[in-house]
Amino acid sequence: MLSGSDTVYVLRYFDLIGRAEGCRLLLTAANASWTEEHPEWPAEKANQPFERLPVLVERSNGDEWILCESLTIERYLARVFGFMPTDLKQAALQEQMVDQQADLVPAFMAQLMATDDMKSKQIDEFNTLLDRIVKEHGRILSRNSSKQHLFGDQLSYADISLYAFYKVYIVYLKIYQSNIDEIVKPKLTPEIINLILSIEKEPLLAPHLSKCDSMAAVLTSKAL
Amino acid sequence: MSYILRYFDGIGISEATRLLLTAANVEWTEEHPEWPQEKANQPYGRMPVLIEKAVDGETDFVICESGSIERYLARKYGFIPADLKQAALQEQLRDLMFDVNHALAGRLSSKCKEDRVESEKKFEDLLALVIKEQTKLITSNDNSGHLFGDSLSYADIVLYGFYKNLLQSVVVLLPDVADIVRTMLTPEVLNLISAVESDPKVVKHTSKGNSLARAAAME
Repeated sequence: MLSGSDTVYVLRYFDLIGRAEGCRLLLTAANASWTEEHPEWPAEKANQPFERLPVLVERSNGDEWILCESLTIERYLARVFGFMPTDLKQAALQEQMVDQQADLVPAFMAQLMATDDMKSKQIDEFNTLLDRIVKEHGRILSRNSSKQHLFGDQLSYADISLYAFYKVYIVYLKIYQSNIDEIVKPKLTPEIINLILSIEKEPLLAPHLSKCDSMAAVLTSKAL
Repeated sequence: MSYILRYFDGIGISEATRLLLTAANVEWTEEHPEWPQEKANQPYGRMPVLIEKAVDGETDFVICESGSIERYLARKYGFIPADLKQAALQEQLRDLMFDVNHALAGRLSSKCKEDRVESEKKFEDLLALVIKEQTKLITSNDNSGHLFGDSLSYADIVLYGFYKNLLQSVVVLLPDVADIVRTMLTPEVLNLISAVESDPKVVKHTSKGNSLARAAAME
């Protein structure tokens, strides 16, 4: 189901990959009319519905509709633009994978901010969770006949979310922890690397990814 | 169709799932695996886990992650609207309530007084925004005792589970939290809690244990 051709979207977020890359990729894949706003922060905090970002603004026929919460925004866009399966079980499997990925955020922050006495325990927990996610990606992929996609043979919400996930943990989070890519990259199987590279080459994503650094060089380099 | 919910024997983050299963009027039971002994026997080493028992020799459908479990059941049994915008508004509220839970977890893991004070402020500020939004929705919905529409919805169920966790579960670890929440609750939200508690679709479950409506209103 496509929204009207006169519908425009504004994604409000920081000028960072952060929690918005999935939203950006979905809007791009949808070939939606969209722009990004980077509100002055924290000056514009009080002007957001829940004092947080991202915020999605949808404008159509003079009406404006607002949605918050990054994963709700993603699921909404995925459904509007046909990237979420209509079958409830298939949708739940994709949502489950995305929720598992999201669980890694607090674990990452916990090990980053841990005091010395807790550091090693928090790092273990982070690694355990990360290993489980990578294993799950591999498991889903092994059950799909197409190795360019997690489910079916076309770009889906899960593919987009997986790409954004690895971009966050290999590229983005380096600003917080410079060795994060050295922790994550060795865990990737050749199949997952191929999947990431396939998604990166999806024509639907080109308008956005052509403006970003490719993950290909990062993933295929021999030197860490 | 029958279901098994695997979780700890407590309110936690599974109350909305229990209410959805009750409201769906399906056969369901709960399992409380020995923990952490049974960790490795779960698909992803965590709970909750929902098992939809197969009929006719098909494989069981297993889903994890509390949000995904809830949204699957809510869509399957008609508690999330078909309209995508209306659905998204209900999901947004759930995610916001869980952000409040995460802020509270931050409070629990705070090491020093400064961190505790900062975490508590974050929790209270976000809870204030959530209560304000919930009150606004109830008021603009003609104070019908529902957040949206005129019958029990996913959002109503999540709200009930959210406050049940804060007022009757978390209170064991953080006794002051219940007091903070009670002082912030508006009459509109209290009214909705009562409405959900007595809704025929879920009363079979909400009538077990102590009344949330009473716990929420207590001085």
